[in-house]
Amino acid sequence: MKTVISIDPITRLEGHGKIEVFLNDKGDVDRAYMQVPELRGFEVFSLGRPAEDMPQITSRICGVCPTAHHMAATKALDDLYKVEPASAGRKIRELVYNAFMLEDHAIHVYVLGGPDFIVGPDAPKELRNIVGVIGKVGLEVGKKVISMRRRIRELITYAGGKVIHPVLGLPGGVAKSISPDELPKFKELAKDGLEFAEFTLQVFRDIVLKNKAYVDLITSEAYTHKTYYMGMVDQDDRVNFYDGKLRVVTPEGKEHSKFDPRKYLDHIAEHVEPWSYIKFNYLKSVGWKGFTDGPDSGVYAVAPMARLNAAAGMATPKAQKAYEELFKTLGKPCHHTLATHWARVVEMIQAAERMVELVNDPEITSKDVRTIPTQKPTSGVGVVEAPRGTLFHHYETDERGILTKANLIVATQNNSARIAMSVDKAAKGLIKGGVVNDGLLNMVEMAFRAYDPCYGCATHTLPGTMPLVVSLRDASGRVLREIRR
Amino acid sequence: VAFAAARLLREGPRDYEVVESAETGLALLDHLEGFDQAVLLDAIFTGKHGPGTVLEFGPDDFKMAPAPSNHFAGLPEMIKLAQRLRMRFPKDLRILAMEVDNPIVFRQTLTPEARKALPAFVERARRLLSA
Repeated sequence: MKTVISIDPITRLEGHGKIEVFLNDKGDVDRAYMQVPELRGFEVFSLGRPAEDMPQITSRICGVCPTAHHMAATKALDDLYKVEPASAGRKIRELVYNAFMLEDHAIHVYVLGGPDFIVGPDAPKELRNIVGVIGKVGLEVGKKVISMRRRIRELITYAGGKVIHPVLGLPGGVAKSISPDELPKFKELAKDGLEFAEFTLQVFRDIVLKNKAYVDLITSEAYTHKTYYMGMVDQDDRVNFYDGKLRVVTPEGKEHSKFDPRKYLDHIAEHVEPWSYIKFNYLKSVGWKGFTDGPDSGVYAVAPMARLNAAAGMATPKAQKAYEELFKTLGKPCHHTLATHWARVVEMIQAAERMVELVNDPEITSKDVRTIPTQKPTSGVGVVEAPRGTLFHHYETDERGILTKANLIVATQNNSARIAMSVDKAAKGLIKGGVVNDGLLNMVEMAFRAYDPCYGCATHTLPGTMPLVVSLRDASGRVLREIRR
Repeated sequence: VAFAAARLLREGPRDYEVVESAETGLALLDHLEGFDQAVLLDAIFTGKHGPGTVLEFGPDDFKMAPAPSNHFAGLPEMIKLAQRLRMRFPKDLRILAMEVDNPIVFRQTLTPEARKALPAFVERARRLLSA
C-alpha cells in the first residue's frame, strides 16, 4: 500500500531576508536586525533513514553548492563507518571538489560579485547583473566564463553521474574510477582552468585594484569587522578545501586554536535569538558577548577571506604569490568584508593548480577507488570548506546505520553574526533623523553579497523581485516605512 | 508537476527531446543552447487562479531581477545573457505553467487538482511542440 507523506507547515527554505530597523526617539537607528524567517527541516526529516542516503538527501539542500553537501556527507560516512578512503578514491573526490570550487568561485566573481566591482558600485540597478558584467568585460570573456563553467560541470557529471545532485561519494571512496581514455580531456580542462583563474586575477587587478574609489570602498569602515577567523588547513597550515584541521586565528592574526573537525562541539557553540530562525555561531572559549567584534567577542567568520586569514599560506605556488600580493596590499589579518571577492580569486588559482596536480597524478586512473567498510557505524563527522565557508555534517546512527541524530552547520550560519553586524552597521550609517538614504538597500546588499549567504535557493517569484524587505519602526515599534525591491 | 508531465511526453512517437531538470540560472543555458524551439514546463503559484489552471507565457512576460545572488538568476537573465553572447538559443520559447495549490508543502504525489489537470497540461505542451 502506498503511503503518502505530507509535511506541513513550511519546512523548506522559502528564501527571503527580512530586515527590521528600530529607531530611537531622535530617529536614529537603535538596532537593525537581519532576520531569516524560514525554517529548514533536513536535520529532522532525515532521522530514521539510512545514513548512506545522506550524500543524496543533503545535496538537495542547495542547488548552488550540492557538491559541498555531498562531499561533507560522504566524509561523515567515512568517519561513521571508520573507514579510510582508498587513495585513488580520495584523489578523485579532491579533483571533483576543487573543480567545483573553481566553478563556483568563478561564477561568484563574474555573476555575483561582478555587479559590485566589475560593473561598479554606483552602476544603475538594471546593469547590476551578469549582463552588465559582460558589457564591461566584453563578449569574449563572457563566452570564456560560460565555456569554462560548462567544461567543469562536464567533469563533475562524468565523475558524479550528474552535476546538480552527484552520486559520487560512498563510505570508503567513490563509485566510479576515471578512465585513462577520458584523462586527456580533463588535463586540458585543468590547464585551461588555471589560465582562466590567472586571467581572472588580472581582471581584478585591472578593474578593481587600479580604481582608487573601489579600493577605498573595500577598506572603508562600513565594511570592516575585527573578528576571529576560521578555516581548514593542511599539516603546514596552508589552505585546504577538502580535508585537514580547523584553525582559528584571533582578530590580531595569532593562532587561537587548531582542532580536529570531530571535536567541533568543543569549540563552537550556537547562540539563539528569538527574532530569527538562523543560529549565531560563536567560539565557546571566548563566549557570546553579543553582536560585537574584537578579541573579547566569540564572533568569527568563515569563507574565502577568513580562510586566507586563518592559514599561514596557500598550498600551491601561484596561489601563494597571489595571497602575498593581497596581504601586502591590505595587511594581515584583513578585516575588510569586501576583500572576500579578492580572496575568492586567490582561491580560484589554488583550486585550478590542485586540479592540475591531481590530473597528472598517475594514481588518478587507478581502479582501486573504494575500501569496503567493515565496522559497525556509531558517529561520524565530515567537514569541508564550502565556497561560502566551513560546512559541518555530523551523524549518529544505530548499529544498522539508521540515523538517530543529524547536525548540520552550514557556512552561512558560521557567518551569521558577522552578517547581522554588517547590516546593523550599514543601517546606522545610512539612516539619520528618521531619514532613510536610498542607498541603504544597495549598501546592505553589498555587505552580505560578499558572504554570499544562502537564504534564497528556492525563491523564484514571477515578477522577478529580490525578496529583501526593510521595515523601519519608531521607538514604539510602529512601522514607519517599508522598503522592498 | 512538470516532471510528471515530462514522463508522459516521452510516451509514444515524438520528434522532440524531453529533458528533466531541477536546475535554474546558468544551467538553463546548458539545456537550451543549440535548440530553435523549446517549451518549458513548470509549476507556478500566483494565487490568482485555481489549482490546475494552465498558464502560458512568452519570454517577454518575465522581468530581470536586480538580485544580490546568483541563487536568484532565472530564465529572464539567461535569455538576455544568451542574446548578449550571441548563443544559439530558442527563438520560439514558450513557458507552460500549472497553477499549484501550495508550492512549499512537501508531498510525494501530485494534489488531486494537479493530477486531474495533468492530461490537458501535457496535451497543450504537445500542441505547442508540433506547431
